[in-house]
Amino acid sequence: MDNLSYSALVRERFEKPGNAGRLLGDVVTGMAGEKAHGTRVEFDFRLRDGRVERARFRAYGCPHTIAAASWVAEQAEGRDLEEKGWLDPHALADVLELPEHKLGVLLVVEDALRDATSKALRI
Amino acid sequence: MSTKNPIYMDYAATTPVDDRVARVMCECMTRDGVFANPASSSHQPGRDARGRVETARRQVAELLNASPTEIVWTSGATESDNLALKGAAHRHSARGRHIVTSRTEHKAILDTCQQLEHEGFEVTYLVPGSDGVITAELVAEAIRDDTLLVSIMHVNNEIGVTADIEDIGRLCRERHVLFHVDAAQSAGKLPLDVDAMCVDLMSVSAHKIYGPKGVGALYVRGQGGNRLEPLIHGGGHEWGMRSGTLATHQVVGMGEAFAIAQQEMDTESRRLTDLRHRLWDGIRGLGGVWLNGCPERRAAGLLNVSFEGVEGESLLFALRELAVSSGSACTSASREASYVLRALGRDDQLAQSSIRFSLGRYSTEADVDQCVEIVTREVNRLRGLAPAVAADAARDRAV
Repeated sequence: MDNLSYSALVRERFEKPGNAGRLLGDVVTGMAGEKAHGTRVEFDFRLRDGRVERARFRAYGCPHTIAAASWVAEQAEGRDLEEKGWLDPHALADVLELPEHKLGVLLVVEDALRDATSKALRI
Repeated sequence: MSTKNPIYMDYAATTPVDDRVARVMCECMTRDGVFANPASSSHQPGRDARGRVETARRQVAELLNASPTEIVWTSGATESDNLALKGAAHRHSARGRHIVTSRTEHKAILDTCQQLEHEGFEVTYLVPGSDGVITAELVAEAIRDDTLLVSIMHVNNEIGVTADIEDIGRLCRERHVLFHVDAAQSAGKLPLDVDAMCVDLMSVSAHKIYGPKGVGALYVRGQGGNRLEPLIHGGGHEWGMRSGTLATHQVVGMGEAFAIAQQEMDTESRRLTDLRHRLWDGIRGLGGVWLNGCPERRAAGLLNVSFEGVEGESLLFALRELAVSSGSACTSASREASYVLRALGRDDQLAQSSIRFSLGRYSTEADVDQCVEIVTREVNRLRGLAPAVAADAARDRAV
């Protein structure tokens, strides 16, 4: 069944998603998911001194996916690349009041973040 | 964004009761009205109720070009479909145990067929071409010597495409196979003639054409109750095919709704066709949109469109200023794309990001223009958030 009842935070981020878009120039891009499977997330990171100076996201997916990607891109900015485990999908699920059956979309968001971070660490 | 008064564009799901219909229904409920049991022939109030029921039966019959004695009241098209399929299969199984239907039928048919399969009947599910049309040729290939029944819907509820009903009917008549038509989406919208269409059984519903929910009818060719095995026993009402006290107000409402639809069908059909063209012309300006189903053979007010590059659930939520249907059903495990669109060969993304716009009696040009504006704004916004197609392609190449 479609369930169109979303938390206030998801609604807000869906309507006005912070950190949406693309970074140009010298950036690393992490990605995960497949449009054909309903969810795809990409993060662009611009790096400076081992930190994420700026982060942007692009997302194809349900409102929870867009809200989560926006939240993660915002939270990533300023973080040390070596900082591990700061994204806990279960904690984010609580923040977004995500229904249990949607936890999978957060794992895609987490995979895209990991992809971007590991690419950044290889530079 | 205000979601207080979404523009209603889901008339294929249900319609509001027409004021004229509500008025006659109200006449049949309270103590100063026609409230008596229409089966109570021993007194005048009962005979008055019976009179109203029989007037309604005539009104429904007229729309189908049927005889009133061929109309059996039911609780709606789902029950009509069940009665038609199970009733015919159980009563006439000696003629064969094979049924032909299509993969794009309503669940009321598909689930009933599945039940009959559990009982030992064999069912062939036809697959339409990419235009969604079920043709007589497809049916002819499937009919066997032991085929008992063919069941094909007139207008598909998701995509609005019409089947070759007349040709299929003639074929069934020639091959001595019973022919059932689910006409829930066409009654009152397209001309129906059970004789010209060679139809033996036809399901119709009240609430799709401004009548009340909870009442429908099944047309059963020929008179007398020996044509179908009943689903419901208890009193032998409706020639033994459907027992139970008739809901006079519902039945009367359905009759009035059918009479109004018949009077207004021509002008309303033209008006809705114009509105649908206006809607499609507006939406197609976006680019990357696909009309699902044959562009020509369709019910006047129904438009089903797939949007490239947007996800179905987000699209539906983004369009909450509109009351429309999605082509996808978000299940607990996955977002399942419409089985009808997949049968037409749409890929998962397009099947999952489809929207059904269905216009009706109270739709206006202003509604359509506003709808186009909202759809254009929101689809562009969601596409702007999504990863570019080129990025997908690059990644796919890398893998």
